[in-house]
Formats: sequence, C-alpha cells, structure tokens
Amino acid sequence: MKTDVLIIGGGPAGLSAAIETASRGLDVTIVDEASKLGGQLNQQTQEMRPLPSVYEPMRGFELANKLIEQIKDFNVRPLLKHRVVGFYADGSAGITDEENVFPIKAKKIIVASGAAEKAVAFPKWTMPGIMTIGAAQILINRDFVLPGREAVIVGSSDFAMETAMQLMAVGTRVKAIIEKQSEASAKEQEKVSELLRNGIPFYFNSFIKEARGNGQVEQIDIEMPDEVITLNVDLICMDGGRMPILDVFYQLGCSFGFQEELGGWVPQYSNTFQTDREDVFIAGNAAGISTQGALLLTGMIAGISVSEELQTISPAEANEMREALWKELGLLEYKEVYSGRVKHLENFTSPVLKDQFIS
Amino acid sequence: MHIEKHPVLSRQLLKPVTIYFNDQPYQAYTQQSVAAALMANGIKKLGVSRKLVQSRGLFCSRGRCCSCYMTIDGEDHVRSCMTEVEEGMRIYPNMDDPEVRREFDED
Repeated sequence: MKTDVLIIGGGPAGLSAAIETASRGLDVTIVDEASKLGGQLNQQTQEMRPLPSVYEPMRGFELANKLIEQIKDFNVRPLLKHRVVGFYADGSAGITDEENVFPIKAKKIIVASGAAEKAVAFPKWTMPGIMTIGAAQILINRDFVLPGREAVIVGSSDFAMETAMQLMAVGTRVKAIIEKQSEASAKEQEKVSELLRNGIPFYFNSFIKEARGNGQVEQIDIEMPDEVITLNVDLICMDGGRMPILDVFYQLGCSFGFQEELGGWVPQYSNTFQTDREDVFIAGNAAGISTQGALLLTGMIAGISVSEELQTISPAEANEMREALWKELGLLEYKEVYSGRVKHLENFTSPVLKDQFIS
Repeated sequence: MHIEKHPVLSRQLLKPVTIYFNDQPYQAYTQQSVAAALMANGIKKLGVSRKLVQSRGLFCSRGRCCSCYMTIDGEDHVRSCMTEVEEGMRIYPNMDDPEVRREFDED
C-alpha cells in the first residue's frame, strides 16, 4: 500500500495533523490500535480548556467527534485495530491487523503515539483493583463499569482531581487523596477546593505503606507523618504522571534528549516538528506531555510542515502559519512546559556538545 | 457493576451479550472490553504472574502494561483490555505460560 502521509496514532494530535494534510489534497493513512479514532479524548467527560482559537470550549469526547467529523470530507484512510510493529529496510512501515503483516510506503510519517501512565510502586501494588487513574476513567466513561465502591487516589494532579470527581459522580466513595508532597500538585486549585467542599480528606506527606487482599485489594495502610492508618478499599487509582511513548521512534532510529518538563526522554525535533530523520515528524504527547489544546497545536504544526515538504503550500505560507501557531502554543500551554520545549528545541538545533544525544 | 445511567453520557449500555468466563455465563454489553465486562461482574483477578504466581488484573486499560492477559476464544496471551466482548465469547484466566501459536510443524 502507498500513501502520502502515514500518521501513527489517531488521537487529538494525529487527527489535527490529518486535517492539516488531507485538507490540502494529500492522501492520508491513520493507524490506530483502538476501535475508534479520538484516542484518550473519548473518555474525557470534563471540559477541555483552553483550546486553540478555532475551537470553542467543549468536553473531551465532543472534541473527538468534532475532529473525526472534520476528516470525513477528505481523503483519509483510518486503519483501526491496526498496529505498527516495525519498519522494512526500504522505510516502509510494517502494519499488522493481528493476523497478517503488510507494508505501507509513505512519503512522510507523522508519529503521534501519545503518552503512557507511570506507576507508583508500593508493596503489593500489582494486585487487581489497583490501577492508573486513566484506567479508572476508561472504565467509567467508555466501558460504563464501576471500578470499585470505596477508593483512594494516590497523587493530586489535575487529572487525578478530575478522575476523583468523575468517580464520585457514578457512585464510588472516594475515601482519601494521598499525596507524598506537602500540597496538591493540581495547577487548577478550584478542583482541589471542590473535593474539599465534598468532604474528601487530603493526606499530605503520606504514602501507601502496604496493600493487602485475597486475590484483589481489600485493605491498605497509609503512612502519615505521625501515624499509620488502615482503610478498607476495593480500588486504588494511582497517578504517577505520564511519559511519551517512544517505541516507534526507537524503531525509526530517531535521536532523543532528556527534558524533565516534557516528561523525560523525548525525541529530538526542530520548530517544524521534524525529527532528526527528514521523513519523520512528531506531534502530541510524544513530543512532550502537555494539555489538550497544546496537543492539537503541535499536530497542526507537524501537519503544516509535512504539507510544505510535499509542496502543497509554499515555504512562506508555512512559515507564517507556523509562527502564529507557535505564538498560540506559548500562550496556551503551561509556562514551564513551554520553556522546556524551547530548551529541547535549542539543544537539538544548536547542540553544545557533539555527542550529547542517545540514538 | 454496570453503570446503567451515566451522569454525563446518560444511558449507553444497549446491546447485551453473554460471555463465558471459566464456562460460567455472565452478562456484558457490546463496546465493553473483556476486562471491563468481567469487572462489572465482580471478577477482578484475570490471571497470575509467571514466577511468584501473584494475582494480576486490569492496570492501565490501554494495552500498554500487559497485566490483563487472558485466554480468549482459544488464543493465549490476549490483552483483555483491548478486546471487545462478542456474543458467546469463551474466556479463561492466564494461569501459566502461553501456547505459542504455530501454523506449521517444527523443522
């Protein structure tokens, strides 16, 4: 199979890159492991804000539907329940439908593989009933299944606070938020206030000492500054933060740089979102963990750069659009993430040391 | 427990199907993943770890962690969080190493 643009990952970044490229007449193929486009947006019932100026504020799943609707008019081939498993010597991607493997030869590849949640380890953390906050949200909002009746949340990021509220809305009793730092890490303080108003206790400077249960979690000990308390729970949702998914970049032989603010090891890329391989572009959380609005912008920039490379827009036009989008990115994403991104770009375009990148 | 009426998305579980876990029938709904459907029926332990034989269940629900491996319709080591339920599906827990899929006889 041949295509102009192969997009790996059909989440917000992949879809916005698809809109940018396909709307300029390019033939686009999107590969995604899930059975529906939209990625993790599909189970986000909270309002997404801020979004790029072309979108009005809306809930996550509404944004997914909006993006999917926009690609319908164009030449976009979604390959759902398909995965990239490797690359052939001629640069073709090896795609599997879980039965056969076939090659796709693309002129340009945009990798928008997204992010993976990290775990918080404590004794017996691998027991059933202990899961990531993202998993709990998928169960409630996509599978319509109650993950547990009595829960604690480990961590206090914005995402953890939203998940706590969504758990409460479907009838799970949230018994506590456990945070190892001395204050909540959520940037939007009103989410913390809302949980406090609902009587949810926050245990700061605390962590889970041990989980117990027969075949699934039933009880936990929480180590607090002055005492150890025991709670009966059947659900622990852990928020260990997120990191870019890099498998495909390793297979492509891209170079990486470490950037704490972007989530750890991140592929190197320039301000056109081109990696060190000239045919490979990057977008979304894979290019640094950020908020939904920012992910859309990175997808748009990558899409515009690919359109420029494939000569459907002039370099002058592309530069002008990119400049505007970068400006919006600077306004939209958290300051420390944006400055991390700028540092990451500088390290790539003007390296201080010769061999500072792992590849 | 299935969420019959969702606070934001209202009623979504429309098409019931019957799945079999260890040959016992359970009710699920199309669009649910196998791991989620089992959890709705109170089954959280989906298998055991290879070396220390400790219980394992759904952890990331997006196909990354592989903690939810099960045997589904005769195939071992299937990620049950990424597989949607189908009518009459036969599901068994992942209790030991998988049978490696073979189409040809060994040389």
